[in-house]
Formats: sequence, C-alpha cells, structure tokens
Amino acid sequence: MVIQPLINEGTARLSLAGRFDFHSHRDFRAAYEGPLNDATVQTIVIDFMQVEYLDSSALGMLLLLKEKAESRGKKVRLANLNGSVKQVLEIANFGKLFTIE
Amino acid sequence: MRLKVLVVEDDLINAEILRDIIDGLGYDVEVAHDGAEAVERFRSWLPNLVIMDIKMPVMDGIEATRRIRALGQSHWVPIIYHTSLDMTDEIVSGLNAGADDYLLKPTPPDLIRAKISSYERVLEMQRSVRSQTSELSAWRDMAEQQNRLSQHVVSRLLDAEGLRDSLLEWMNTPADNFSGDLVCAIRGPADMLYLMLADAAGHGLSAALSALPMTQVFYGMAGKGFPIHTIAEELNRKLKCFLPIERFVAAGLAAIDTRNQTIEIWNGGIPDILFLSGDCTIAMRWPSRHPPLGILPPAAFNSSTEQVNYQQAGELFICSDGIIEAENASGARMNQLMVEKLLCSAPPGQRMATLQMALQRHLDGDKNPDDLSCILARVPIERRQDIRPANRPETHGAKDFSDWRLGLTWGLSELRNLDIVPAVLGFMNQIPSLKAHSGNLYLILAELFNNALDHGLLNLDSQLKNEDDGFERYLSEREQRMDALTEGQIDMRFHLHRADGQPALDICITDSGLGFDYEQINLLDDIESGLPEFHGRGIMLVKRLCSELVYTGRGNVVNARYSL
Repeated sequence: MVIQPLINEGTARLSLAGRFDFHSHRDFRAAYEGPLNDATVQTIVIDFMQVEYLDSSALGMLLLLKEKAESRGKKVRLANLNGSVKQVLEIANFGKLFTIE
Repeated sequence: MRLKVLVVEDDLINAEILRDIIDGLGYDVEVAHDGAEAVERFRSWLPNLVIMDIKMPVMDGIEATRRIRALGQSHWVPIIYHTSLDMTDEIVSGLNAGADDYLLKPTPPDLIRAKISSYERVLEMQRSVRSQTSELSAWRDMAEQQNRLSQHVVSRLLDAEGLRDSLLEWMNTPADNFSGDLVCAIRGPADMLYLMLADAAGHGLSAALSALPMTQVFYGMAGKGFPIHTIAEELNRKLKCFLPIERFVAAGLAAIDTRNQTIEIWNGGIPDILFLSGDCTIAMRWPSRHPPLGILPPAAFNSSTEQVNYQQAGELFICSDGIIEAENASGARMNQLMVEKLLCSAPPGQRMATLQMALQRHLDGDKNPDDLSCILARVPIERRQDIRPANRPETHGAKDFSDWRLGLTWGLSELRNLDIVPAVLGFMNQIPSLKAHSGNLYLILAELFNNALDHGLLNLDSQLKNEDDGFERYLSEREQRMDALTEGQIDMRFHLHRADGQPALDICITDSGLGFDYEQINLLDDIESGLPEFHGRGIMLVKRLCSELVYTGRGNVVNARYSL
C-alpha cells in the first residue's frame, strides 16, 4: 500500500492508496510513527480516497492507531470514505468510534 | 569449513605438490592415482572437492567424472580438472560429463590456492542453506502435528447439542484449517431458541482462538435464560479484557421466543439479519447497529436490542460477511443484494441448499479467501397445543431434602438493572431436587414475576400487545414507566416442603402495586372457557403446571404450589 503523508498546521494527513489489508501492516505503521511522535501534530487524518479494498485487519490497525494517538493526546479522523470502504466501516459502526469527515 | 580435497593425479611429483598446497591451506587431502581409484575413494571418503587430472592410466578423468556423477550425491561436489592446454577437447567433454571447472598446467600455486578458496566460499554457502532447510523441515513437521491436535480439541469445544436442533440448518466452512467464525445454538429454559453467529477479525487459528471463550459465556448464560443484552455485555467485557487492541469479534445474537412470538436481536458488525417470510419476501431486517464486540470498554458498550413480534411463520437468516463477499479466483464477488435474491428465489426448506449450490457455482472449485458461515432457523407459529406442558420430570433426591424457606426482596435498583428470573433460577438449579424442574420453574417464575412487575408495579395493560404495532408500543411504554417509577418493590418467598406427603415448592410473589380484580383468574379453569388473554396465554400455562394458583390481597399477592 502506498502512503503519502502531509503535515500542515498541526494536522498530519495520510493518504492511503490501493489495498488496505494485513500486508499493509508495516507500511501503515511506518507512516504514522512520525506524526505520532511529532509534538506539533494534534490530529492525524487518514484519507481513504484511493483505497480500493479494506478488511478486518485494516480495522484493527485503525483501532491500534487510535489507541496510540489518544494516549498521546492526539485525535484520529477518517476522511473520504467511498464505495465498499464506506460500507465496511458502516457495518462495523466505526462512526461511533471515529470522527468521519 | 575444513574441506576434504581428493587429488587425482598419476604423476607422483605433481600429486605431492598439490598435497603440500592443500595441506598448507589447512584442509584434509587424499590422493588417487587413476580414475578407478578416484571413484572408489570418492565413494568411501566423501570429499567436498575433487581436483582431477584427465590423462591417466586404467581410467581417465572424463570417465571418472561420469562415474562419480552417476553415484548421485545429495549435494554438489565440485570437480576441477588440472590438465594441459592441448587437452581442450577433453576438457569440453569432461565439463559436459559433469565437471565444473579447469586449471591449466603448469598452474602457479597461488592460483590453485585462490581457486580452492573460492570454491570453499560457495561450499560454505551450500552447507548453510542445507542446514536451514533441514531446520525448516523439522519446524514444519512440528507445526503440522500441533495443527492436528488443535483441530481435534477445537472441534470438540465447538460441538454442541443445540446445533442439532430440528429447526436449524447451518454451515461453517473455514478458509484454511480453522474457522474464525463461530456458530452457536441452544434452547433456553422456556424453550427459547438462542442463536449466535460470530466472526473474529482475521482468520485461521488466531481468529478461532479469539472467538473460543465466547462459547462458554453464551451457552452458560443462555442456558440459564439470561436475556441477550446481558449476554452481549458479558461477551464484550470478556473479549475487551483479553484480546489485543487490534482484535475484535463481529457478532449477531438472536433469541426466538415461539410462545410469545417474538424475536429479539443484537447485531454488532455482521451483515443484515433477515426474516424471510413464507411468501419469499424479506419481511424484516436487522442491520448492524453497534461496533463489534471487544472494542468498547464496558461503560461505553451499548447492549440495546431490537425486539419484534412476528405474526407469520418464516425463517431467520444470519450470516458472516464471508458469504456476502464470496470471491472466486478471477476476483468476481457476490454482494448483499445477490444473496437476498437467492434466498427469496427459493421456497422455505430449500433456501440453504439453494444458497450452498450458488456458492459452489460461484467459487467453482476455488477456495474462498474468507470463512463462510450462516444459520437458517425455522420460526414456526405454534398452535394452542403448545399450552400443554411437557411431561413432568422425575425428581431426584426427593427422599432426602429438608424443609427450607427463602425470602428475597427486590427494590427499584434491582428491578431496573438485574436479570432477576435467571439469577433466582441459577440458585434453584443448585438444588438437586429442583434442578430437574428447571424448565417448568423458569416458566412459572418468569410469568408470575413479569406480571407482578408489568401489571402490578407498572400498571401496563397487556391488551395493548394485541393491537397493530402494539408490541413495540408496549415495550416502549414499559421502558418509560420503569424510568418514571419512584418507589416499588417485589417480594419473593419460596418454601420447599412436603405438603400432604408430596414434595412441593410453594412460591409467593408480592408486589407493592395497586392490584387488580383477580376473581376471574382464580376461577379460570379452562383455556377454552372463552376468557380472552386477560394476562396472556402465559398464566394459563402456569395454571396447568401448578397444583394450585391463587391471587389474594388486593390482587398484588400470588401463591403457587408446584408439586415435585
């Protein structure tokens, strides 16, 4: 999975592209490690615009990120949900766990 | 690596020179003076490297090479020719016969040393790879053995009597060796059918392990008649406690009460649960309203369920997303609409077969990447015959029980938050003479207690249930009145004793409400007598089960005697 990070005024935006599944583990972690440890970042936004597929391990990774972020006083938001990605997140009612843009 | 080098050379002086060089490198060396001796030494001494002259008596280097290669070693032993320039044709034949390299005489000793060292590096790498391969083999054998044992244990743990219920059809096909999906079913005390379908995140053994502890909680609590919202809470609490953050279990819980014709459902993370009617439409659906289990801490967990009253017979369909998203090798996926159409295209009784055939056709022999599981439960409309209670069970230990009394008083806090009937029943089940009667006692206790609460304290009119939408309105009204209560209590008294020589359990329930006109109930003898559902069919059943049932006081006290 390809991840493009962008940090701007306290918000780190990670744009994901491709398949977000259990193979993406290392890439995802490497991408959010920086923003997590960056004191100037208060919000991490995960952008799903280019994501074509999402499975339960991806949901698990989001939960892990949320926990780590919250323990550092940061927030996590999910943005640009579409198609099957939106469906998966809706069935899992992740809107009750994350703020969705 | 300490090499064993076989030198094959008929010229004694050359042989000694080579021996010295190889000795000097710290390796072991043996010398053969012709091809035949070379083959023999090769077979008995098993060298790592061979330096071979070509022109020799008895047997030349090329033939020796052929024979050595024909021995069929499990690992590669390089053969290097040590010969003169005018033997080019022979070198080519030899290389084709299986030799690897050549050195031209006269070869400076440094070159010989460098060549041998170079081969030593490659041989060392070969040795290292072979050692890793054999270690891997050993690991794989061990893993396969553990797999077999785990499958044996897991399949025993997942097997349950409830799954063989005649009203059920179900399937659970793993993507690999272990399914991360769980299918559970059991009949609760009042003959309520409890179902659970769970889908642990991921698949394989780790997913199966995540879901396993749910079986104990589900079967234990459903067996005692706990409502599904309580079961959901406990499941969530347990899973949250020991699963890592990134793991969770999507689940659907259903309780089908055929006596009262209600279905209650909690859906957290699985596809829509469907009620398929006899006329092949989807009469009701319950979408996922909650996040999966094991994510939210107990305080934030929402256990609210959706309960409906069904008026017609049908089938309840619960499945995991494996079926909805079944994907074949060319990447074609099914979807919710397709599955629904399939189910509706078949008449009741054939839906499971239709679905399974369609899945088979779609997958066409390919393995689905996800576990496939679903439950199809027949939901019948039961006729009046149902009122007749089951055969009276035998009482064990009736000879040696002692006379005892138990009194319990429930205040508002308990009435609002506790599952009182399952809790009391749990206690009753500890007593051998009562345990056998668990089912009947549950029915009696549930009916009398619910009446005391609904009609006694809350003043609800059960006639409301008979109207259109009445059931949902009844539930909502009940919730409101419960919240609005500022005072109230319910007393329960139990007395186990012999009454006229016959062992009996006397139950007395008193509520602090206003009471009602109970004359009609006390005189009620017969279902057919035309008195309509004053308190519902439930009270008829209780009358049948008990040897005595009497209302007294202002209608807020009920006494029942149950013969053991």
